[in-house]
Amino acid sequence: MFTNKLRLKQSLGLRVLVTNITFVILAVTLIGVTVYSRVSSTVINEKIAISKVETQNALMLAQGHFDLARFQNDTELRNVVNDFITSSREDGSLSGRETVLLRIPNSGPAKDIYQTVPTLLSLDSIPQEFRDQVITSDKILDIRSTIKYSNGVSNPGFILGGKLKIPRSGDYAIYYLFNLDAQYQTINSIAWNLFFFGFLLVLLIGLITRLLIKLVVSPVTDAAAIAEKFTAGDFSSRMQVTGEDELASLGRSFNEMASSIQQQIDRLKNLSQLQQRFVSDVSHELRTPLTTMRMAAEIIHDQRATFADAALARSAELLINQIDRFELLLSDLLEVSRFDANEAMLDFKNFDLTEVVRKTIDYLHPTKIDHFEINIPTYPVMVDGDPRRIERILRNLVANAIDHGEGKPVKIELAESENEVAISVRDFGLGFNETDAKKLFDRFWRADPSRARTSGGTGLGLSIALEDAKLHQGELLAWGKPNQGAHFVLTLPKRRGDLIQSHPIFIIPNDLI
Amino acid sequence: MPLVMVVDDDQDLAEMLSIVLNGAGMEVDLVGRGDEVMELFTANPPDLVLLDVMLPGIDGIEVCKLIREKSMVPIVMLTAKSDTQDVVLGLEAGADDYMVKPFKHQELVARINTRLRRTTKVGTLKIGDILIDQMEHTIARAGKQIPLTRLEFDLLVALAKEPGRVFTREALLSEVWGYQHAADTRLVNVHVQRLRSKIEADAENPELVLTVRGVGYKAGPVKE
Repeated sequence: MFTNKLRLKQSLGLRVLVTNITFVILAVTLIGVTVYSRVSSTVINEKIAISKVETQNALMLAQGHFDLARFQNDTELRNVVNDFITSSREDGSLSGRETVLLRIPNSGPAKDIYQTVPTLLSLDSIPQEFRDQVITSDKILDIRSTIKYSNGVSNPGFILGGKLKIPRSGDYAIYYLFNLDAQYQTINSIAWNLFFFGFLLVLLIGLITRLLIKLVVSPVTDAAAIAEKFTAGDFSSRMQVTGEDELASLGRSFNEMASSIQQQIDRLKNLSQLQQRFVSDVSHELRTPLTTMRMAAEIIHDQRATFADAALARSAELLINQIDRFELLLSDLLEVSRFDANEAMLDFKNFDLTEVVRKTIDYLHPTKIDHFEINIPTYPVMVDGDPRRIERILRNLVANAIDHGEGKPVKIELAESENEVAISVRDFGLGFNETDAKKLFDRFWRADPSRARTSGGTGLGLSIALEDAKLHQGELLAWGKPNQGAHFVLTLPKRRGDLIQSHPIFIIPNDLI
Repeated sequence: MPLVMVVDDDQDLAEMLSIVLNGAGMEVDLVGRGDEVMELFTANPPDLVLLDVMLPGIDGIEVCKLIREKSMVPIVMLTAKSDTQDVVLGLEAGADDYMVKPFKHQELVARINTRLRRTTKVGTLKIGDILIDQMEHTIARAGKQIPLTRLEFDLLVALAKEPGRVFTREALLSEVWGYQHAADTRLVNVHVQRLRSKIEADAENPELVLTVRGVGYKAGPVKE
């Protein structure tokens, strides 16, 4: 039921079809019922009216005969009356009319008594009220009634009642019971025809509607499908346009819109490609002069012991340091341009993460080892990933922690769950506030521009670390509070292609919970 | 004094390179265009070529191919892009080694010296059906000499010296190229392919330089 409703809601065509057919059924039923009732009442009333006139004439004629026969002898009169009765019955047997002649009690001399009731007819068919009305009235009266037979059969029909005066016998009520079976059969067949053709009409209109819907809705469906493709990133799809009608104009407008969007996107794509290429080209172009500078500086630096002026010797050192930094910046920029161009590739290996952590710490800060509080498993923790990139993430986090840690210890922790592994780096330095937290991973953003730079980082470290984590389908989260330090947690899925489902290390540091 | 030909269109870098190389006791020929290399190369054959990839005239990769048609001289390429097709193309064109800008001058000198070093050892080695004369720096199959570049020769000697040993790519990089830290293993792959194409009867089914899957390479058994 629910799914049907849903389908009805989702499909315009189906909705139009259902609505249309409902209305057609309603209209056909209304028309059918009206026609039926009009036809049936006309047929029956006509029959009654004609019968009434005929009966009136017949009775008047009979009354005339009776009145004339009054002057003849009894036998002749009897013959006239009996002829009338017989002919009445015989006429009736053809048209399904029954004749009942009943004497009205206490209405005359009653020398002869006539009475005729068809053998099978049940006199219940003539209601008592009607009899009373007929007796008191001078007109031919009619009533709709069911004509019942003693053998159980009953037919719809009507009764006409009139009065006859038979000389030397008294007043008689004569009833003609008309069987409407034939009329009802006609009406029924009309009803069946109405029903049948109504049904046919509904079917036909349904089919036509479907055809029309297909004609009208299918371009709309096409447009929807193409729009969906568009959303999915295929900007080359277009609607087929035939003819000059409204649908064709819809198609044309849609295609124009599509082209315009495609152009815009292409333009933006080109722009961003241009920008990426520019960054990459600049990074490469700078390398040749940097090579010359580096070699020149190295030669000067190598000779610094022979410089008489101490300032000159120091300058040579500063020159080399800054060239190192410049080089670092260039390679970071290049890495960023690779991320932007989606060209960064992972060199997946299955390796022991604990070893990478140890190596990072040893390699980076052999003299500051006392600063670290390290809590990592003694057994190997194997993960799928690019060890070079993961080491780079760690190096960035640890370098940041040392830079901003105010000389306080830095805690490094590694924890695992069944499918994930997490590394956290916690420092107890200056920390950062909420506004800064949002910009932390932005390129070239620095926590406090007025602070001296101790490590000479490039300002791209965290942004690269985040990209590296994302390449692994991992997460890099940061927590910080002013003067309470910072906490960075890197969570990685252990197996390639998996997604993170749980976090072995919570982002709010343990020491604060 | 060894003669190094420096092919670079950046005049300042070229001059700086010649200062560094002169300081390391080498003579330097400077060439600024790709299409001028072969003329000077024929007139005054160098002991080593230092070749920039991007050059006016014809590019470094084409120059590399042209030199290889004539000579087995060591070629070291200079490139600004380590991650592009340039490096592989250069190695496939016949370069022995490459250096990514910016490099330290000590590193450059060390790398050049490794390529210039002549291992003056006496005696012969065998690998498969090939005889290696270490003194003469030649190899021969059934008395017929096969020309190899110095690097290819060194690579073959390294393998042939220790017939049972499986060399990792890193070990070969250190032994043959003189790298102390991990470097680009594509160097080894490309040169093994080149070496095979010269000495193997069927390079698709090597019998002299065998691949040990997941580890590296080793010498094939000696045949009489």
